[in-house]
Amino acid sequence: MEQKFDATPKAELRLKGRQVTRTDVTGDWGLQLRWVVKRDGKEVATAPARAEHTYVHPDTTPGTYEIVLEQFKYMNYAKNPQGEYTQSKFVAISNAVTYTI
Amino acid sequence: MLNIGNEKVPLCEGLSRRSFLTVGAAGAGALALPTFFRLQQAGAADVNKAKIRNCITLFLVGSPGQVDTWDMKPDAPAEVRGKFKPIKTNVNGIQICEHFPLMAKMMDKVALVRSLHHKTGATHENGQRWMMTGHDFNADNMKPHIGSVVSRVFGPKGDLPANVILPGPIGNTGAGPLHGQTAAHLGSAHEPFFLNADPALPKFKIGDLEAPAGESQSRLDARKRLLEQVDELQKHTETRAVGEHDAAYQRAFRLLTSPDAKKAFNLNEEPDKTRDRYGRNTFGQSCLMARRLIEGGVRFVTVNHFDTVFGLSCWDMHADGGGLNNTYADYERFLCPQFDWAFTALISDLADRGMLEETVVAVFSEFGRTPRLNGKSGRDHYPNAWTNFFAGGNFRTGQVIGATDKIGSRPVDTPIEPPQMLASLYHGMGINLDATMMPGPGDRPVRMVEAEPIKQLFK
Repeated sequence: MEQKFDATPKAELRLKGRQVTRTDVTGDWGLQLRWVVKRDGKEVATAPARAEHTYVHPDTTPGTYEIVLEQFKYMNYAKNPQGEYTQSKFVAISNAVTYTI
Repeated sequence: MLNIGNEKVPLCEGLSRRSFLTVGAAGAGALALPTFFRLQQAGAADVNKAKIRNCITLFLVGSPGQVDTWDMKPDAPAEVRGKFKPIKTNVNGIQICEHFPLMAKMMDKVALVRSLHHKTGATHENGQRWMMTGHDFNADNMKPHIGSVVSRVFGPKGDLPANVILPGPIGNTGAGPLHGQTAAHLGSAHEPFFLNADPALPKFKIGDLEAPAGESQSRLDARKRLLEQVDELQKHTETRAVGEHDAAYQRAFRLLTSPDAKKAFNLNEEPDKTRDRYGRNTFGQSCLMARRLIEGGVRFVTVNHFDTVFGLSCWDMHADGGGLNNTYADYERFLCPQFDWAFTALISDLADRGMLEETVVAVFSEFGRTPRLNGKSGRDHYPNAWTNFFAGGNFRTGQVIGATDKIGSRPVDTPIEPPQMLASLYHGMGINLDATMMPGPGDRPVRMVEAEPIKQLFK
């Protein structure tokens, strides 16, 4: 029996300086939760988001940063030869916040 | 107490072994187990009031690798230590996998046993039988599930069955149907009640709790009264098998008609925030239902995390590229986070409700996984060493029992075998294994499990 995932996860992000704070996730699937950081439109980092509600990206390289919260969405366990999921994937579950250095 | 001749028999904890042997020696007319149970039924012994703790067992079907989870070896060679890193916990000196960040914050509520091993086959079924019955066995010699033993010895507390398995039974795990989740010789009245439904689904319902179409409550009540009259007539002639069948029928009828049962199974009574905190998935909602069932009067709940190892994401990390293609990706994104979220929700919830000291939480699995990664970065079955753990009850938590060698291949300190885990579980529930017997095949009294509790686990 495959695990079923009811509901749609959502969270809200707020920014204060470089510190981003998330709300609890409603409709939480309980799967991996991560911060995704883009600089000038290019993904530069991911970080675990489950244990803490706040995150400060340590990199201060000049540019425009965008941070969003993502959760893993399990569709099935199909994988490529490298053992990575092919259909299950991370999806954004929050608004994005931006700041510029 | 019930007097049998000059012998006092402490019935509130079942039947003492010494009493049984003494009385048994008095002759065939003394206390046979059928007599004992008839006395119970006649009200001479109210075992329903027995003061034992409850238990929730989370069974991780497929089995996590010890080196990737709760017995990490960061100093071992790369082909042993694997991909993940250890993190500190809130107990000095105990580290666990980085993908259990919430569990790391409540390690003070957990007692890890890192030296578990068994010496029979390396199939899932061998491990399931060991960890759910305390025995390995074949079809001619089946042993009862630990929850069925609790059901037989202590009985239900109300309308709900004493032993429930969520969300359903273990199915095909590769090597036959003997998973250790039956009542065996204890009889149909003590079979686990299987939910056989997915509590994560929005329109979740339990077939056994729905009255058949066209059946009103008054008609059900009338049928129950008729059943009770027939039952009275039967008592003069009944065989044990008939009695067991009747007990199972009564149990089903109670479930069908009991408001308490319906309430216990109704997850919609939980706030959305609580349901979210357990995880909106089959395992998380099953853990939440386990808590509700314990609150409702169930003594023993088992949550099977998966019912098979084939064709889905589960702990069985062979990475074989085919039907057993679980990999590090499954552990990192799905399995560890899902377990971490649900397990910590359960422990916190039980603690917040003042239920943790009255509830043993056991996390069991079948075996460990090979210390060295296979050619595809997976790990295969390995019964020589693995980690399971306890929380709640009177367990002395915030500690590690036992240790394995530098690569997690064998115990080097305090080797522990499955029957000791079950003995510890019983002991944690408050059951005195020296004073409480269960009926064996042919109703001979036997010890509930042939092992002693692990003393270091207890306060």
